[in-house]
This record gives sequence, C-alpha cells and structure tokens, in this order.
Amino acid sequence: MSKADRLRAWAKPRGVPTFAFELPINLAVLATLAALVWAFRADGFSLNILAGAFLFAGLATSWNIVGGFCGQFSLGHSVFFATGAYTTANLYLKFHVSPWLALVPSAFLSAGIAVAVSWPVFRLRGPFFAFATMAFTEVLLSLAMYFDSVTGGSRGVSVPFRAGFANMIFRDRLSYAVLMLGFLAVSLIVLSAIARSRLGYRLQAIRDNEDAARAAGIDVLREKLVAMALSAALTGIGGALFLMYVRVADPPTLFSLFDVGVKMALITLIGGIGTIYGPLLGALFVVVLENFLRAELGGSIPGGNLIVLGFILIGTALFLRRGIYGALTGLVARFAGKPT
Amino acid sequence: MKLTRRQFGAATLAALVVGAGRASAADPIKIGAVNPYTGPMALYGDEVTRGFELAADWVNAQGGVLGRQIQIVRASAASAQEGIAAVEQLVGRDKVDILTGTYVTAISNAASESAMNYGKLYWETNALARDLTDRGLPNFARSGPSGREFAQRSVEGVLKLVASRLGKDPKDLQVWLEHEDSAYGTSIAREQESLFKAAGVKVGVGVHSAKSIDVTDSILRAKATAPDVWMSTAYVVDTNLLLRAMRDQGFKPQAIVLLGVGDTRETLEALGAEFLEGVVLVSYARPDINPAYGPGAAAYLKAYQAKYNRDPIAPQSMNAYVGLKILFEAIAAAGSVDYEKVIAAAAALDRPLGTYECGYGAKFDDKMQNTRALPVVAQWQGGTVKAVYPANAAAEGVKVVNLPRA
Amino acid sequence: MSEILNIIAVGLLLGGVYSLVSVGLNLIFGVIRIVNFAQGEFVMLGMYGAFAAQVALHMDPYVAVVLVTPALFLLGAVVYAVILRPLGGEPMMQIFATFGLLMVLQNVILAVSGGAAYSVDSVLSSRSVSIGPLQFGLVRVVALTASSVVAAGLGLYLKLSLQGKAIRAVAQDRKAAQLMGIDVERVYTITFGVGAALAGLAGCLLSPLYTMSPQIGTNFILPAFAVVVLGGLGSVLGAYVGGFIVGLTEALAGYYIDPSLKDAVLFLMFIIVLIVRPSGLFGHAGAEEVGLREQS
Repeated sequence: MSKADRLRAWAKPRGVPTFAFELPINLAVLATLAALVWAFRADGFSLNILAGAFLFAGLATSWNIVGGFCGQFSLGHSVFFATGAYTTANLYLKFHVSPWLALVPSAFLSAGIAVAVSWPVFRLRGPFFAFATMAFTEVLLSLAMYFDSVTGGSRGVSVPFRAGFANMIFRDRLSYAVLMLGFLAVSLIVLSAIARSRLGYRLQAIRDNEDAARAAGIDVLREKLVAMALSAALTGIGGALFLMYVRVADPPTLFSLFDVGVKMALITLIGGIGTIYGPLLGALFVVVLENFLRAELGGSIPGGNLIVLGFILIGTALFLRRGIYGALTGLVARFAGKPT
Repeated sequence: MKLTRRQFGAATLAALVVGAGRASAADPIKIGAVNPYTGPMALYGDEVTRGFELAADWVNAQGGVLGRQIQIVRASAASAQEGIAAVEQLVGRDKVDILTGTYVTAISNAASESAMNYGKLYWETNALARDLTDRGLPNFARSGPSGREFAQRSVEGVLKLVASRLGKDPKDLQVWLEHEDSAYGTSIAREQESLFKAAGVKVGVGVHSAKSIDVTDSILRAKATAPDVWMSTAYVVDTNLLLRAMRDQGFKPQAIVLLGVGDTRETLEALGAEFLEGVVLVSYARPDINPAYGPGAAAYLKAYQAKYNRDPIAPQSMNAYVGLKILFEAIAAAGSVDYEKVIAAAAALDRPLGTYECGYGAKFDDKMQNTRALPVVAQWQGGTVKAVYPANAAAEGVKVVNLPRA
Repeated sequence: MSEILNIIAVGLLLGGVYSLVSVGLNLIFGVIRIVNFAQGEFVMLGMYGAFAAQVALHMDPYVAVVLVTPALFLLGAVVYAVILRPLGGEPMMQIFATFGLLMVLQNVILAVSGGAAYSVDSVLSSRSVSIGPLQFGLVRVVALTASSVVAAGLGLYLKLSLQGKAIRAVAQDRKAAQLMGIDVERVYTITFGVGAALAGLAGCLLSPLYTMSPQIGTNFILPAFAVVVLGGLGSVLGAYVGGFIVGLTEALAGYYIDPSLKDAVLFLMFIIVLIVRPSGLFGHAGAEEVGLREQS
C-alpha cells in the first residue's frame, strides 16, 4: 500500500478501533495542550487556571472509567481523592519519602479502599449506588475529622514550602501546569487503553444492559471492581498532586462532595459522559469559566459568579444533551453531510 | 470594583486638594484584599474588607502613604485553592503591591504562600490560627490577635471576672467547653482546655458539627456534668441552635460565655435581649469601647455609618481597619512597599496598648505576631454589646450585669 | 430513666423535623425518579419566604404557610416544566440540572441577603410543653404534628383521590399509565410542584427553630435522602417512619457516643440497610433494581 493509502486506512479503521488508533490522537491532543501551556508560560494567572483545569480533567477522565464506561454513577470519588492526598502527605511528612515515589502506594491504597468499599454496594443500581457512595464519603469524612493521628483531624495536613523537584514543590506555576498535564496524559492514555480493549467493551456491555452482560458470561462484579480500582488509583494520584499544589488541606476540603466528588461527575457530564475526550473538554470549560467568573464578578455581588455559573450549567444541561463532545461531533457530522 | 474606582476618584480629588504642591502625582499603592465573598463566610469576608476600605479612605484623606493614594482591590476566595487563584489574579492581572486579608485561616495559609512566590507582603489582620505565624514565612505578619490571644482572654475572663462573681475559687469551678469541629473551634478549645487545667479548673469538652440539624445531644451532655460555666467557640448558626436548645431543655448554667460570635444582631434576633442579658462575649473591641482604652472608636463608627448607611455588622471590621492603619505606619517607616523593608519596619514599631481604636498597640514578636492586639470581654446588656473587661475597656458607667444568671 | 426518655423524646421530635423535610423528596423521587439535589434549597426558600412574609407583612410563620406553600408549588411546577421535562430521557442530565439549580437558588439568596443569618419570631417560639420531667419545645411539637398530618393526608390523597391514583399509577408503570389515558407529564409536573410545596411547608414550619443562612439547605439534603432510602422508595409511610429512625439514631448516637460522630453512625447504618434491604423498610422489594432507566 502507498503511504497515502496506509494513512487513509489508519484514519478510517475497519472493524473496531484499537488502542493503536487512539494513541496518536491522545498524543496530538496532549501536544496541543502543551502548546497552550507554552503560550501562557509567562502568565501565572492563566497557568494556575490551566493547572486546575488539567487536574480536574485528569480526575474526571478517571471517573469516566467507572462512571461513563461502566455506568456506575459514583459520587463518592472524593474518598479516593482524600486517600491519595493523605497517603502522600503522611509518607512525605513523616517518613520523608519523595512524593513522586509516594504516588505509587497512594494509588494502590486508593484502589484497595475502592474495592473494599464498593464490593458490598455494587449490587445497587442507579441512584441507590450513588447514595451509597455519598454515604461512604460522609462516614469517612466524620472519621477523618475525629481520628487525628493519621489525618491531622480537623486541622488537616500542611506541607511546608521547600522547593525542589524531588519534593514535587515548585516555585513557578509553569512546573505545576506541566505536572498536571502529565497527570492528564496518564489518565487519558489509561482511559483510551481501557476503552479500546476487551475490558472496555465488557464495561460498556455492563453499562448498557447488566443482565444481558451477565447472561453473555461476563463476570459483572469482577469487571466493576477492576474498573473501580483503576479509576480510584488515578483519582488517588490526582488527590496527591492536589495536595502538593495547594499544600494545605483539611477533611472538609478533601472529602468535599460538591467541590470534588460531584464536580468530577458534573464535569464529565458537561463534557460528554462515556467519551474519551469529554471529561477534558468539560474540565476546560468549567474550570476556566468558574475562574473567569470569580475574577470578574467575585468582588462585587456576593455569590454573583456562582449564580451565573449555575445558569450556565442549567443551560448546558438543557442544550448540550450529549455534552460538549457530543455537540462538537454532531456539528462536525452535520458539516460533513452525514446524518447526525 | 465600581466602589473602589469611585472611592479612588474621590480620594484622588482629596489628595489633589490636600497634597497640592506635591511632586508628580504618584500612582496609587494597590492593596489586594483576599477574602471569601461567597459561601458561608461571605458576610464576614465582606465586613472585613469594609474595614480595609475605611482605612484606605482615612489615610487617603490625609494624603495617602508615601504621597500615594491607597486603592483596595478585591479578590474572592472561599477555599485554599481559590486563594491561590486570587493571588494570581491580584498580582498578575491587577498588579497589586501588597496583599491583605483574610477571614479564614486556610485561605490565608495558601494565599500568603503564593504571595511569597511573587515576593509580595501578606498582611494578615483577622485569620486566627497560630500556625500562620509559627510557619515563619518571611513575607507574613499578623496585626490582629491570634486564636491564642482569644483563648487566653476568654480563660482570663472566666477566672478573673466570672469566677469572682459566682463566688467560686477556680479549683471549685466546673467548665464545659463546647466547640465546633473544624480547625477554628478545635485549636481554640485545646488552648482553653490546657489553660484551664493549669489553673486547676475541672473541664469537660464537647464537639459538634457546625452543620448539625440538631444539637440537643450536645446540650444534654453538657447538662449532665452540671457545669458552672458553659463556653462555646462556634459559628453563628450553630451557636444560635445551641442557645435555643439550652432554653428548650431548661439548662441554666450560671454563666454563658461565647467566643468569636454571638455578639451580633443575628444572635440577638434569634434569642432575644432578655435571654441574652448578661451573656459574656469574647470578641474584638467595638465602638462602644472606652475612649481611653481605644481612642477614635466613636469616629470609626461615624465613618462606617456615613459610608455604608448602617451600623457595623460585626467588630471584625474595626479590627481590620486598625490592622491596615498599622500597615500604613510600617510602610511609611520603611519608605517602600517592599516586603522585607515593611516587615523590618513593622518589627521595629513600638506603640503602647491604647494607641488604636481597638485598644491595640504595635509590638511584633519574632514570628511577626502583634503581641499588643487583644480581644475584649463584653456582655449583652439591654440588647447591646458592652465591653466589661479589662476594667479600663469598659465605657463610663458600664457595670457587669446578671452574673450569675438569674 | 428520665434521661433516656428525654433522649428518645428529643429523637422523636427530631424525627418529626426529618419526616416533614423528606416527604416532598420522597414523592418526587418515588414517582418521577428524579434525584432532586435542589430539594434542600426548596426548604431554604420556605424559610426565607417565612422571613420575607414576617418582614413585609408582619406574618407569623405559621400564617405565612398560606402564602409560601402555593408559591413554592408554582416554583416547583415551573422548574419541572422548563428544566426537567425537556431532559426527560436523560436522568443524569436531570441530576446535573438540579445541581445548577441548587447553585442558582443558594446564591440568589446570598446576593439578596448579603449572607446575613436571619431569624423569625413566632408566637410559639420559646414556649414549651411539659410532660412529667420532660420538656418539649412547642415549635417542635407542632412540627411533629404537622409531619404526621401531612403524611396521613398525603397517604389518603394518594390512595383515595383520582389524581392520587393517577400518581400512583404513573409511579408503578409509566407506560401502562399512559395507555390508560393518564397525562403522564401533567402528573409529573403536579407531583414536582407538590414536592416543592411540601418542602416549602417544612421550611416555613421549621423557620422558628433555625437561624437561616443561604447554605442551610445543604445541611438538610443528605439526611433527607437517608430518610427516603431507609423508609423505602415511594412509600409515604416509609418516609414518615424513616424520619423517626434517622432522628432517633442521631439523638442516641449523639448523646451516648459523641455528637461529632453521629453523622458517621447514621450513614454507616444507612449503608448497611442499603446493602441488606435496599428497597428500604417499607418499599416494594426490587424497587432499587429499577434504578434510573425505567423512565423511557
């Protein structure tokens, strides 16, 4: 085949798209984002926003594994976020382990807790599963506040500023933006690998019709647990990175339903649940928007920025049913003359 | 932003009038005010910034600082993460020279560290945690009292004022310390507990969540120990709930002491003047303070009423106002807005207690905590809050009432 | 002896509060199967409505009910028609929209009030009723009575009236109800309106108890979900009893264990019940299996 033919064959895969197809697209997207970071490299204000956007994009992407692809609407991911943060904090502060290394046990512990916590509740469907995850968040929040030794109780953890690559503490915002982009890259690649693999198809089968999937011989509980473990591991890493960025966090911040657990789901929904790039688009939209609104309106009318944000969220729900990704692909399809 | 531009316009006019003949009108000193303007702390964040704005007005009317007008720029931050963004916005976009704040410790913590990255001074007026100064951040100073001063003053008030009125020796006193479960309540209560224990007082401690729908259980647990003094460090909504539950359950300790809150109209409306009569409060000084203790407080009240058409919502604003006045002195002494110079100048300040409206002086310790900033002990009397302790803080003719509670 | 009686009394009265707050959510969730996160905000609006009525018209909150409840019915109906009905087939988007609504409602009140905490006065505030050694705040007794009356009334309405039967029919099987000629969307709109009105009623009746702040709605929403799930989806009796279960658990755990752990105890119990009997105590077994999909 000629080079052009090969390219055409790659661009229009016959049969099922594989990871080999998806990976170059991932890299292209990441390169675009890296270029964005480079464009703003001198502007701390924008870099901070981008760092936040990439972090939440990575978190939402990891949530999407179990929420979008497996259909398990978890609102309790803040538990894994907090676990990752506390594990890294304790290892770094008490045992002087570099946060880079501490990411590994953080991921494993988050995954372990995910399996332990979700095993009994995976039999629940739909909103009941969501309630159970929210209930777990509340229980663990209370316990984290009460038992100080591991979590620092209500005072939380505080990581003193000691700049250094080994400490994962940087003086400049550019390094953090790159760090978060790295996290997003890992999340995106993991999600792509899952989505374009047999695991991914099994998960989607469970999402679309759990009973039929079981009848087709899929071990539903096992697959759900695998998805949850992977999702939680990534979320845990995100939590650790969040802590190294903000450097001060208490249980209400880490376990926050509205600012972490629900936000991940919300961002994914806005961006396009069940798609690979949806969460990224959602994060870019929401995080940039909320920062912009807060900067413009935050000082004047109390709550003004959140009123506008709330209306925009409602509007997005009403007019972008399939999320931003769905709207964009719809536009492209209409442009290309294909039936939407 | 509209407000500050209007204010800036008026102030420039005043400066042109007052400072006529000065060399080229220098550009203003911009001070970024990081505070929560949304969320549960919005009311107080706003109030603190009003204190800043009044301080700016006051100094601008006198020609500003170093011949430059002061301009307050707001940035909203309701969490540590938002605090970082606020600093980025203020330093990067609004090009402020100095940062100040902040009603919430966690926000101050993150924001001041961000400010350090840019080499800007972070002048804290209100946030309470000891950690903020213990950190040893080189660009950080706190002009107002910390949680420790609050705890100390509250214990002092109980041991010196309340115990004697109850006719009890500290060793015979039974105190119940109720606090809400976040870092704010916990850190202050811990300090209070150790101070009380050192004085030989018997202490029981209760913890509740500020978001509780019901706090009767906390009241019943306190009631079971039959304390002489019931003290609480909490927020407005839960303090009101606790007091109502006390009333409902017929729990009548001989003294009720509220730290930090319970001294505003919000509690008065909820409980009524009759119930609140004699309730002891530990909070920032208010304009009713004796002019010998806190000079100029009455003028502050007038300025607030003139600008905002209402009475001050909470004494946090006068504390913020004084805090910025001290900052202006430090800047003038330093001759620059450079953080190292201002910190050094502030460290060299030595003003006795009773220099400023809140009764503060200025003397910073090696961690840059103002050691001459202390809260006062006050009481609800006939529907208004009146300072009663230290004795020289009490206005003319003010006496302690209803202690022990009838 | 009187100590434990007192705690149980506290728990039962608290249960009355929870039942009152949750009955609207139970109706909405049970019939329309929407997880309405903004339900706590409807309660908050009921409270602020009582405050506004007192400030503008010098009404006692118990009288203000007459104004607040219909106003919230209208708000609920409009919210359903404008925001939730168009999202009919997308349950997750509906949840997402209720979050947006939560943000808007909470912050509008914040903007208007500046964040100040308000209180309302009622002729009944600070009055108590004494039975033996026990003392009960009169406002709480009224809340308990109201929740019983509302639960009974709603139960009878659903059982006996034609509209109530239509609501039950739609809850049981939407398609069959449509085939029977019931205007399902109209039923949904009315149900959502009633659910919001009940939340507003709760807010009004509870306003003498609480110092209201814009965020107070979020304090109610999680226990309300616990009540609804514990009691059983779609069962009015279940929500009523569920309220007492939650109230007693909180009071007993708060007093005998620690007030700062009562949330942990409550939600742990909630999880256990969910695992062991997901349909709740009075719900139809298998209701939880239905999940969100059956709307189409």
